[in-house]
Amino acid sequence: MSAAIQVRGLTKTYGGQRALDAVDLQVEEGSIFGFLGPNGAGKTTTLRILTGLARRTNGTVRVLGHDVSRADNAVRAEIGFLPDVPGFYEWMTAEEFLRFAGGLFGIERRLLDDRVEVLLDLAGLSGVVTRIGGYSRGMKQRLGVAQALINAPKLLMLDEPTSALDPMGRKEVLDMLESLRGRTTVFFSTHILGDVERICDTVAILDKGRLVVQAPIDELKSRYGAEKVLLEVEDGADELAAAIAAAPWATKVNRDTDGTLQVTVTDTGAAKRAIPAMVAARGLALSRLEAGEMGLEEVFVQLVGEARS
Amino acid sequence: MNGFSAFVRKETIEIVRTWRIWVLPGMLLVFAITGPLTAKFTPQIIGAMAGDQLAGLLKGMPAPTYLDSYAQWTKNLTQIVLFAIIIIYGGLISAERKSGTAILVLTKPVSRTAFVVAKATVHAAFLTLTVTFGTLVTWGMTAVAFESAPGAALWSASMAWLALGLFFLGIMTLLSTVLESQAGAAGIGLGAFALMSIAGLWEPLGTYSPAALAGMSAMLAAGKEPAILWPIVTSLTLAAALVLAAGLVFRTKEL
Repeated sequence: MSAAIQVRGLTKTYGGQRALDAVDLQVEEGSIFGFLGPNGAGKTTTLRILTGLARRTNGTVRVLGHDVSRADNAVRAEIGFLPDVPGFYEWMTAEEFLRFAGGLFGIERRLLDDRVEVLLDLAGLSGVVTRIGGYSRGMKQRLGVAQALINAPKLLMLDEPTSALDPMGRKEVLDMLESLRGRTTVFFSTHILGDVERICDTVAILDKGRLVVQAPIDELKSRYGAEKVLLEVEDGADELAAAIAAAPWATKVNRDTDGTLQVTVTDTGAAKRAIPAMVAARGLALSRLEAGEMGLEEVFVQLVGEARS
Repeated sequence: MNGFSAFVRKETIEIVRTWRIWVLPGMLLVFAITGPLTAKFTPQIIGAMAGDQLAGLLKGMPAPTYLDSYAQWTKNLTQIVLFAIIIIYGGLISAERKSGTAILVLTKPVSRTAFVVAKATVHAAFLTLTVTFGTLVTWGMTAVAFESAPGAALWSASMAWLALGLFFLGIMTLLSTVLESQAGAAGIGLGAFALMSIAGLWEPLGTYSPAALAGMSAMLAAGKEPAILWPIVTSLTLAAALVLAAGLVFRTKEL
């Protein structure tokens, strides 16, 4: 598998400020890649450099095998891009904008007719004759995704594509991105962990301009850890928590407000075998025992927290 | 259709479907209609306003001719219309950057130079059409008002001014690429206009450069025949060079 995006030592400074600091990224062709980070981490700056809108200070950036600083129309013909706040010609309708975008790619009339119809439908804008100036932010965002797909791109880059959408709109956009799996490389930035967890194969976490980690999501979860066991007992939870905390496979025990014990473990199997015995030895009544993976959110918080400390 | 022609088409439709279709053509139409009438009835207007106070002066004034109508037209072009061009085109490129529309276009197969050249080309054609239309109306209105309206003086004056207008369009294309503020670009454009008026006093510039065109346009409208070729050639060459320079500057800009 070859890389759709390959970034080595990417650094970007504004004045004396480092927006990106020696970032390395590798996005494999056909993957759905989530580019995670808190606000101000440098995600938009990275995307602007990848699309040729901004220049790097240092490092190498290759998009679809081409050095992005020398990227010409041939490379731009293969990518689709949605900025975080897309700007449209407000006097156009959605259909006119899609036809205009298709015209910029030189798409043949009949093919363009078909694509416009499909994409308007996908964006939920079929039959909307209002000019774009009268659209809500969500409608503009959906149109933005549609225009990024007009050329059936090899690489689709989206900056916070779901941030302005309501839950239904978010689901539709995520479903649409998921449907591109294997056909188009999707690279999207977000700070919404649930979106990444839902559709991405691979994730990179950026914080304060530095890449904290890049890995397939499953590997990330297993690498960092630490899994979770949830249990509830009817009485004696404090005594049990103290006993579990002393066990070699337990790294952390928290007690939720509803009384549930949340145990972070290094070996789920050992925990599942030992906990019922510990409960029985104390004569307690076990009402719930559940093993679960650590969520991306916890991995994210853990990694970003480590990077900042 | 390639990226350039699709963008040219968009820019053309944008003129027709937004305020741009009303402002410059509307302004020129008003001047084209009122100019000849104002020239024709100036003595009556002054007489009506001043009563008997200027009766002696009015008696000594020659009767207005079609040349007064032409002079009125070129004066409006050189002052008000040129100012309007400077203000309107102060945001030719920067407005697209500010609204984010440039990002959606420039991440598609359209080079930054093509983006700038397409916009400047369409607006140059729009200015040419608008001035031609205004001149045509002025010519017709002059013929109606004065019963005689030889075309050579009017058309040569208008075309000389058009070269100046295109030169300023080139200046504003560059300024709106360099500066993000439309007001800032317009301010510097007006400064350039003032500077050119002064520079025209120096003979080489007043003979060969665009600085000569305002005065020469007025001379042509008065039926004289100044040596107009060099100022027109330098104006059009500089206009093209300014647009290309804007394209090169735009390539260095981060969006």
